[in-house]
Amino acid sequence: MSDDLESRLRGLWVLAQSGDEAAYRSALTLAAARLRGYFLRRMRTQPDDVEDLVQETLLTIHLQRATYDPALPLTAWLHAIARHKFIDFLRRHGRSGALHDSIDDVDETLLPVVEHDLTARRDIGKLLDRLPAEQRQAILDTKIEGLSVAEAAARSGASESAVKVRVHRGLQRLAAWLRSEA
Amino acid sequence: MKTQELVELLAYRAGPVAPRAVQRRLAGAALAGLVAAAIVIIVGPGVNPQLGAMGAPLIQKLAYLGALALAAGWLTDRASRPGVPSAAAAASVVGVFLAMAGLACVTLISAPAGRAGILLLGSSWSSCPWRIALLSAPALGLLLWAIRTLAPSSGWVAGFAAGLLAGALGALAYSLYCTETSPAFVLVWYSSGALLSALAGAALGSRLLTW
Repeated sequence: MSDDLESRLRGLWVLAQSGDEAAYRSALTLAAARLRGYFLRRMRTQPDDVEDLVQETLLTIHLQRATYDPALPLTAWLHAIARHKFIDFLRRHGRSGALHDSIDDVDETLLPVVEHDLTARRDIGKLLDRLPAEQRQAILDTKIEGLSVAEAAARSGASESAVKVRVHRGLQRLAAWLRSEA
Repeated sequence: MKTQELVELLAYRAGPVAPRAVQRRLAGAALAGLVAAAIVIIVGPGVNPQLGAMGAPLIQKLAYLGALALAAGWLTDRASRPGVPSAAAAASVVGVFLAMAGLACVTLISAPAGRAGILLLGSSWSSCPWRIALLSAPALGLLLWAIRTLAPSSGWVAGFAAGLLAGALGALAYSLYCTETSPAFVLVWYSSGALLSALAGAALGSRLLTW
């Protein structure tokens, strides 16, 4: 495959799947740039929504990490999720007919990679505050304050697996909110 | 929150992905559904007392249903992931069905004149598919629940695959009770029961399996 991103991203992704946090951060950053290009190309008429879709898709990618089959191209998996999110977006906004942009897949190797953040209209940080206290605390402890899972468990009096489940459920709820908010 | 901040948040202490997480989730649901259906048979109508003496017909039946469950399970796994081709898995389902169809044809052709009707209809054709479909319900419910946490490209395809898998499992449980021995009967009526479950799965999947 001539897609340069595929080889770079896949190497990082395999490391990330085995728990390499730095590789995962790089992989998500690369993926975000590709997703931005993907959505920008399809939504030239409403670029304001692009960054929201990028963030929603990143969250889904994270929650669906387990569904990537290492025997297959990573970009195919990534684009399938992006495409699903894009179609879902069109359906939610009920303007698939009015939209001139193309859903059809193009040669993805020609997609622009847009590295600078656009402005998201929706603030995931604010949504985080609306999570149930236990889930919010678990996310804040482990992912913002930087406690280990064991430390977060000791602080909240829950088991380590309970902390992990709360983080996951909290992120799932965020993703559901992002979907239901028009 | 800026996208880069979200990336930091997601990556931070993300931990490894458990290997074969999708397969294990689906297999757990399938196994629990099979056990539930077997318990219904055991405490309900009871196991066929002649089961152990059935011999080759039972082995043929179990081999068909086991192979169908594996093929449908593979299809369910493929269909529950985004952007993953499922043609090979779908072909394996068709292959299992055709192999059983071949066996059924051989027994029908080699049967004495006038026996074909009995081999095809047995004594329970009218109730068999419905009972299998009902026995599939626990596995179907558990599988759909599991797939709701995954990301199927198409809800109805994943639901159909899950229904077919649940149907094969329901049929496995039903074969504890059933006294039919003809491969032609198994091919037509067991498969019909599994198909009913698959259709229910497709209808439910197109509504429930959104993400």
